Amino acid sequence: MAESHVIIRNLSKSFGKTKVLDDISLEIEKGSFTTLLGPSGCGKTTLLRTIAGFYEVEKGEVSIGNRVVNTVPSHLRNAVMVFQDYALFPHMNIRENITYGLRIRKTPAEEIERKLEKTVSYLDIKNLLDRTPGEISGGQQQRVALARALIMEPEVLLLDEPLSNLDAKLRVSIRAELRQIQQNLKITTIYVTHDQAEALAMSDTIAIMKNGKIMQVGSPSDVYYRPDNAFVASFVGTVNFIEGTVKTSSEEKVEVEANGSLITVREKPADRQIRAPRPGEKITLSIRPESIKMLENEPEDENSFRGTIKNYIFEGSSIRYWVNALGRELIVDVFNPPENALHAGDICFRIDSARIHLIFQES
Amino acid sequence: MKHRIRELPESILIFFIVLCLLMFIIYPIFEVLTYPKAKDFVSILTNARYMRTALNSLLMLCLSTLTATFIGFIFAYTVTRTNVPGRKVFKFISILPLFSPPFMVSFSYIMMFGRNGLITKGLLGLDVNIFGWQGLWLAQTIAFFPVAFLVMEGVLQSISPMLEYAGRNLGASGPTLFRTVTLPLARPGVAGAALLVAIQVLADFGNPIMISGSFSVLATEAWMRVEGWADIAGAAVLSILLLAPSLIIFIVQRYWVGRKSYVTVTGKIAQMPIQKTGKVMKCILFTICALVSVLVLLVYFGLIVGAFVNGWGYDWTLTTRYLTEILTRSKELVRSLSYSAIAGFASSLFAMTAAFLVSRKKFAGRRFVDFTCMLPAALPGIFLGIGYSIGFTKPPVDLYGTAAIIILSMVFWNISTGYQTGIGAFQQISPSFSEAASNLGAGSLRIFREIEIPLIKGPFFSSFIMSFIRAITTLSVIVFLSTSKNSVATFSIMNLVSDGFYGKAAALTCVLLAVSFGTIGLAKLLFGKQVTFFKV
Ligand SMILES: Nc1ncnc2c1ncn2[C@@H]1O[C@H](COP(=O)(O)OP(=O)(O)OP(=O)(O)O)[C@@H](O)[C@H]1O
Ligand SMILES: [Mg+2]
Repeated sequence: MAESHVIIRNLSKSFGKTKVLDDISLEIEKGSFTTLLGPSGCGKTTLLRTIAGFYEVEKGEVSIGNRVVNTVPSHLRNAVMVFQDYALFPHMNIRENITYGLRIRKTPAEEIERKLEKTVSYLDIKNLLDRTPGEISGGQQQRVALARALIMEPEVLLLDEPLSNLDAKLRVSIRAELRQIQQNLKITTIYVTHDQAEALAMSDTIAIMKNGKIMQVGSPSDVYYRPDNAFVASFVGTVNFIEGTVKTSSEEKVEVEANGSLITVREKPADRQIRAPRPGEKITLSIRPESIKMLENEPEDENSFRGTIKNYIFEGSSIRYWVNALGRELIVDVFNPPENALHAGDICFRIDSARIHLIFQES
Repeated sequence: MKHRIRELPESILIFFIVLCLLMFIIYPIFEVLTYPKAKDFVSILTNARYMRTALNSLLMLCLSTLTATFIGFIFAYTVTRTNVPGRKVFKFISILPLFSPPFMVSFSYIMMFGRNGLITKGLLGLDVNIFGWQGLWLAQTIAFFPVAFLVMEGVLQSISPMLEYAGRNLGASGPTLFRTVTLPLARPGVAGAALLVAIQVLADFGNPIMISGSFSVLATEAWMRVEGWADIAGAAVLSILLLAPSLIIFIVQRYWVGRKSYVTVTGKIAQMPIQKTGKVMKCILFTICALVSVLVLLVYFGLIVGAFVNGWGYDWTLTTRYLTEILTRSKELVRSLSYSAIAGFASSLFAMTAAFLVSRKKFAGRRFVDFTCMLPAALPGIFLGIGYSIGFTKPPVDLYGTAAIIILSMVFWNISTGYQTGIGAFQQISPSFSEAASNLGAGSLRIFREIEIPLIKGPFFSSFIMSFIRAITTLSVIVFLSTSKNSVATFSIMNLVSDGFYGKAAALTCVLLAVSFGTIGLAKLLFGKQVTFFKV
């Protein structure tokens, strides 16, 4: 287990009467890429800015590298931020923008030159140095903003939705680039986004927030396949929820009755959250659309059911169906669909019993 | 669409506007420029008095512009960028002088700090002479810093606080941050503000005529020429000396500084709390703002006290006789009110119409209308006044001593304000409204009446009221046009002060102020958010 680099303990923060951060605790590993993910207004930016030192800590504690920084002003924290709209200084050219922090530190000129050289060739923005921020494109501004932060060799890099101003294609390519740079430099990075795809693609760890609280912290596959609660499950990706009653429960499998049908769950006990389910208790099954398979014929084994296609959309790599079954509407994704795929009528499908996740009432 | 057939009423309107501008702005300028003979111009170089006067004007231009801009900046910075207590109050106080006649600052300071000053003599027992350049410097600083404040408040507000956060985050703090980020970003705004203040200082007539004593500046010297020697050629030469730098500053301000601004670079202005200001800085800013605010409030205090005491400096008993006399028997006050109301209305109507045509129509002479409507902003009041007194006191248009000449000068001196408001308003109203109406068959005058007018009611009222206030408080424009038959309140205040009748002058000034503030208050009460005056 690597050591924790940024530690947040019981942090709370209000603007006036509204509580924006509510008793947040989070440990961030050294060199990791951690994403704060959550819907708009849940307090991600506020948390990030508190780490950066723009907001005073009201209650709780923020420490960076064994040092409590509650009262350390922003400019002494060495936690450098890349702003959502980049905040490049319009009165300076790109070179001056990038070297600003070093000049403030009174770094010797040769050293500034050397670091600048290294950073700009790394980010491939060498030819922009003499232009002003108004004269370069959005993607280039993004790189310059990143360069301005990276050249400081910060202890912690903070990014607040740095890709949200870019168009979809560029976003995907810069996403990969950013992740690559982060892994090469092994710099502790905290990244804010409300885009779950971005979070899943880039992060080592994802912290999912809602109303100023952290709902779950885990690896991308943790939060995707083993969400702690319904909020996380539905916020990260698409999900089908089926409520039911536990009939039998053993190490090997759990049987749940829903709408008169019996569904078998073979989730590994190690992946189960909290405890083993008890017979008779009400429980929610979380099933990803891609964990449901359409069947050609009608085998009578476990977890196969009948349904009626209500609607579908063609998404290129897959077809998404809305199927009436088990007394509800289920979303089913079929990847690599045959050209003559069915678009209407009755079908059979099977739910992958190993990929059903149990969500307990109390969570 | 491009070659739309022009309708008759529209053509007549354009013709009328262009004709008025030629007649009442271009012609008087032309008259002043051509009035002096060659030898009059040569005399600039040979006449030592002219030279000294010009240098005096230059000195005041530098001093007052510097201090007024500096204080304006301190106010704007404090109000927009710090958490110094009392920011709202400071803002309110700094806006007051904009609705008041500029000369009242000098007048009040004579009463407060002069030889018989309430504070200097009454309170401190000093024998101070406030007449002279120092007094003028103080008065102009207080009178014109609000102009700088307004401009820079806008500029500072539009600088994204994000940039300051970024600077802080990269290691800059306090003074370093201010020096490397805030100040450079505000620099174009500061330059713009300074130039606007410079134009006002240069053209200022009311303050120097009251307070500068024997220290004469171009504007007052021109007046002396006419008053003392009936030397109109000399006055014209002096006012041309005044016009030249004013025009240059105006053009620099409008076409160079106006464009060089960082305001639009970052689009989204994020809501971020203001960072705490350092304790020392907070104290310094608060002290400066508080001191200046006291100086502003003293102006009003002085005037009010002056209006209600029997004899300033020797008899401090209270009386209402001056006020009663003014309210019951002052012809000047009645003229001021009626002339300004007519002029304010005509001016804003004219300005709005011109703004409508310029922003919505394509016609030959559009650029001329645009430029000429903005031009009065660069004309020193006395220049225009002299122009009218030369141009409209002889056949074919002899308006000497009439109400018309005063009203016309007020109308055209004020159109720039209304015109700018109008252009701003029409820019905000999407042309697609009128395109839709035209598409549905409405003629262009009908569009103006039924679509545009309802939408610009607010800006129109704002500009009407501003023009009214500017007209009722102006002195420089009307001073050359006034006779006993048509003189207005400001003219009579000037004479009363120079003859030492402070009580009556103060009472009259107070009434003017009451009218000004009352009008604003009433407009705000009646129209609420529809009308704005200097963003309040
Ligand atoms: N300066 C402020 N003053 C008052 N309330 C604020 C302030 N900044 C944020 N808030 C409120 O705090 C809450 C959390 O804001 P925050 O900016 O942290 O959200 P976010 O998760 O970053 O959202 P988004 O994804 O939209 O950026 C919101 O309800 C917001 O309205
Ligand atoms: Mg945010």
